[in-house]
Amino acid sequence: MSIQTIQLCKTYNANSDFPVHAVDHLDLTIQQGEFVAVMGPSGSGKTTLLNMLGGIDTPTSGDAIVDGYNVSKMTEKGKIAFRRDNIGFIFQDYSLLPVLTALENVEFVMQLQGHSEAECRARALALLKKVGLDKHQNKRPAMLSGGQQQRVAVARALAPRPKFVMADEPTANLDANSTAELLDIMQQLNEQEGTTFIFSTHDQRVITRAQRIIVFEDGRLTKDRQNPDYKRHTMSAS
Amino acid sequence: MLVRLAWRNLWRQKRRTLLTASSIALALFLSLLMRSFQEGQYTSNIENNGKSGVGIIQLQDPDFRDSESIDELLPSTEAFIHKARKIDNIDAILPRIHGFSLASVGSKSKGVLVNGIAPNKETDYTHLADKLISGQYLHVEDTDILLAEGVAQYFNVSVGDEFVLYGQGYRGQTAAGVFTVKGILSFPMRELNNSQVYLSLNQAQILFRTNQQVTSWVVSLHSLDAMAQTVEELQNAYPDVSVRDWMDLSPELEQSIVLDRVSGLIMMYLLYGIVGFGLFATLLMMTLERQREFAVMLATGLVRMKLLLMVFIESWFIGLFGVVIGASLAVPIIVYFYQNPIRLSGDLALQMLEMGYEPIMPVSISPELVVSQIWIVAVMLLICLLYPMWRIVTLDIVSGLKGGAHAH
Repeated sequence: MSIQTIQLCKTYNANSDFPVHAVDHLDLTIQQGEFVAVMGPSGSGKTTLLNMLGGIDTPTSGDAIVDGYNVSKMTEKGKIAFRRDNIGFIFQDYSLLPVLTALENVEFVMQLQGHSEAECRARALALLKKVGLDKHQNKRPAMLSGGQQQRVAVARALAPRPKFVMADEPTANLDANSTAELLDIMQQLNEQEGTTFIFSTHDQRVITRAQRIIVFEDGRLTKDRQNPDYKRHTMSAS
Repeated sequence: MLVRLAWRNLWRQKRRTLLTASSIALALFLSLLMRSFQEGQYTSNIENNGKSGVGIIQLQDPDFRDSESIDELLPSTEAFIHKARKIDNIDAILPRIHGFSLASVGSKSKGVLVNGIAPNKETDYTHLADKLISGQYLHVEDTDILLAEGVAQYFNVSVGDEFVLYGQGYRGQTAAGVFTVKGILSFPMRELNNSQVYLSLNQAQILFRTNQQVTSWVVSLHSLDAMAQTVEELQNAYPDVSVRDWMDLSPELEQSIVLDRVSGLIMMYLLYGIVGFGLFATLLMMTLERQREFAVMLATGLVRMKLLLMVFIESWFIGLFGVVIGASLAVPIIVYFYQNPIRLSGDLALQMLEMGYEPIMPVSISPELVVSQIWIVAVMLLICLLYPMWRIVTLDIVSGLKGGAHAH
């Protein structure tokens, strides 16, 4: 269960005189269970890469093979099912559904998967407990702080038991404490559930906690290294 | 889940939802009232026209329509008409003889329209006896004659005077007779007042030598709404007879109703058009302002069709509120005015009284009118939803995630 890109390209304005290569012939492999930070300046192609891996965006050329499926070649219908069952998304601005409570937001994707109400409720409650928000389960997003909302978003992303979580600058709007708490939670879940986390970020606080750091510039992979400072959460906790 | 989401989404902008539903409710309220008054007036006009003598339906010999000749007759026997009496919607059936004759008194003569009527049945339906201004009304076996006021004045005759009719009867026979004036009738319409004379049916049959035959059977109905069905039933019962409804008998009345109805409908559609623009703006706003949210839902695995369904349900909730509020306000008012019609006063009331009409503004109480309004709101909603739906169908998830409403 890994991610592999083969000569993956995304070019905007491809037919114009000034094509923009958001992702430029990328060859990359990410193993199951990794905790990866994709860093780079704005416009370097981080989000575009995550979108293509998550089946939201379509590559101009090349292949994105996720868990054995070539996402680049999937139909729209296939992508929807693939995203629903395999990918969890965490967005910079949390993007919770404002009319649903924290609990209902977490249940949402599970309901789309067709799980029973009791199953959805049990899993959602367990996840909210893990992210420390079980006491806020009936609050709507507007009644939660930014950090709390992002924790609900993490729980929502993990609710359908995805193999991969794509987190697009998840800590950009959070203060230091909230960021640390969120990273603890995500790392814990990464270790406990074996879910692969891929972050796009230029937040140094996130980068120092990542297991592997991939650096992007102008759509090209310029560095790919293991983080020597990475500590397993269970170890760091002890 | 979709219904719950749709329901909650509606109350994110309570004021907007309520204002939009209220505008639909107002349009429906006004349209329903207007149409109910219009249709009530038409029904009243048709019934009044029928009671002026034409009836709602007439059975005639097929050739009578063109010739209006005393030679084209139908039997006046019970054996002939009993099939019609079995039809539920028929209220009354009146035998009639319509004939033309030359009237003469002294040295004066004038053409008149001779009506042979069943006196009791006739006045039950047309209230002919109420138009009597002097003398007495006819009895079944009466041999005397009733004259319209204008005819009496022309010949300068009064009750008890003699009145001569001379014309052509059935199959070229002479139709002549001397009758005693038994009463004078006053009609509000001048053409009726200057031309009508009435005999009992028996006497008219003797005058025109028609034996047991009449020129027409005049039919009145319990319900105008079921007229088409009644016409069909009559036509089935009398395949060789011409069954003419009020539209065929009084085309000018039909034209005036059609013209008035069309102008009313244009007003109504204009009203709905104005409301429709408001509704369209609301639905479009509800879509554009949530493009990022929609993109997130699609990204997390919601099928686009379900997203469309959710927006569809939201819109229908708004429409439903409008319909329920509008109908809840309009229906009690319509029922009230149906039971207590507005009484007209002044010149208009006098004019109507002279025409023989009751001076009221009748209201139609018809479920069809309510249903038609619901259909209009439904079609308006569907039209208003087309563009927002198209925006959702073509929503690009990446663009939606980046910029929401302006990303498309």
